[in-house]
Amino acid sequence: MSYEVTLPSLGEDAADLATVSQWLVKEGDTVAEGDDLVEMTTDKAAFNVPSPVAGTVAEILAAEGQEVRAGGLLCILE
Amino acid sequence: MGSPFPDWIKQSWASGESSEFTKSIVSRLGLHTVCQSARCPNQGECWERRTATFMILGNVCTRNCSFCSVQSGHPEALDPDEPARVAEAVRELNIKHAVITSVTRDDLPDGGAAHFARTVEAVRAANPGTTVEVLVPDFLGAEAPIRTVLASVPEVFGHNIETVERLYDSLRRRKIGYRDALRVLGTAAANQSGSIVKSALMVGHGETPAEVRSTLGDLLAAGCEAVAIGQYLRPSPRQRRVTEFIAPEQFNKYEAMAREMGFKFAVAGPFVRSSYRSEELLQRLNPAETDE
Repeated sequence: MSYEVTLPSLGEDAADLATVSQWLVKEGDTVAEGDDLVEMTTDKAAFNVPSPVAGTVAEILAAEGQEVRAGGLLCILE
Repeated sequence: MGSPFPDWIKQSWASGESSEFTKSIVSRLGLHTVCQSARCPNQGECWERRTATFMILGNVCTRNCSFCSVQSGHPEALDPDEPARVAEAVRELNIKHAVITSVTRDDLPDGGAAHFARTVEAVRAANPGTTVEVLVPDFLGAEAPIRTVLASVPEVFGHNIETVERLYDSLRRRKIGYRDALRVLGTAAANQSGSIVKSALMVGHGETPAEVRSTLGDLLAAGCEAVAIGQYLRPSPRQRRVTEFIAPEQFNKYEAMAREMGFKFAVAGPFVRSSYRSEELLQRLNPAETDE
C-alpha cells in the first residue's frame, strides 16, 4: 500500500509555501513515524517535515530547490 | 542547496490531529490568531499542544511596523461578538492559560481597551480556572485605556518594548517612542491590582549586549517583572532584514542576565516569543495556584 506524503497546511495564507532545501532520506530508506523526511525553508525559518507514517521511501517527488504549496506532494511511502 | 538559516533556526512542520482540531475551531469561530498573521514558526508546535494566541480587534492594523507582517490599513468596525467567540474557543480547546493580543486600533477612541476588557471577562466567565494574559498595543501612551484593561485583572499584562532605544524609531515608525512604551509598562505597574507586568523584545536587529542590558534595566525600572527575548525572523521579503542571527549561547547569557538583574521570570531563546509557553510564567511564580 502506498501513502502520499504532502506538505501539511499550517496556516491559511502564503506562509504555507516552502522550498525544499534538503532531503534527509533517499529512495529505498526505511522510516518510522515521526522521522524527519525533508528540510523545507520559508521566508522565516527552516522546518523539518516528519513522516506521518512508517514505511519505505518509494519515490521522492519534490526536488531540492523546488517550491511546494501546502497540500503539495513531497514523496510516496510504501 | 541548503538552508539559508543557521542550523538552530529550525522548527518542525508537523500537523497532527491536535493541530487540525485547533485549526478547525479557529476557523469555525472566525477568529484571528497572531500565530497565522505573524507566520509564527512555532505554530505547528503550539497548535499541536492545542493552544493559540488570539488576535482581537480585527485583523487589520492601523500601524505598519517594519518587522511585522500583520495586514496594515483601515480596519473594519469592531465585532461585538468577538469576546464571546474567543471565550468559546478557549473552552473548546480547554486552554488553561489564554493569551490575547490585538492589532493596534488608533482609529478607536479607547484604542480597543474596553473590547480587550470584555474579552478577558468573557474568557474568565466561560472558563473558570483559566488564567489570562493580555499583550496590548501602546494606546498612544494614554493612561485611561491601560486602566480599563487592568480593571479586568488579567493575570499577566504585557506590552512589548520590541527593541533597544537606539533602534526603536526605525522599527516602530515613530508613532510613539521608546520612552512612551516604557511609560505604558510603568502605568500598568503602578495601577495593577494583581497583574504581573511583562514585556518582550526581539534581538537580531543589530543591537549590542550592552544595549540589551540597558533595555532590561529600563523595563525593571518601569516595574516589569517578566521578560521574554527571542530572535527576530523576517516574515516575508516585505519586512526588514534580519541583521544578525544570535547564537543560542548568547540567548542563555541574556536569560541569566535578566534573572541576575532582578526579573522574577525571564526566558530567552531563538524561538521564544512573548506568548510562547507563557503558561510557565505563572507556574513558576505561583506554583500553588496553577498546580493541577
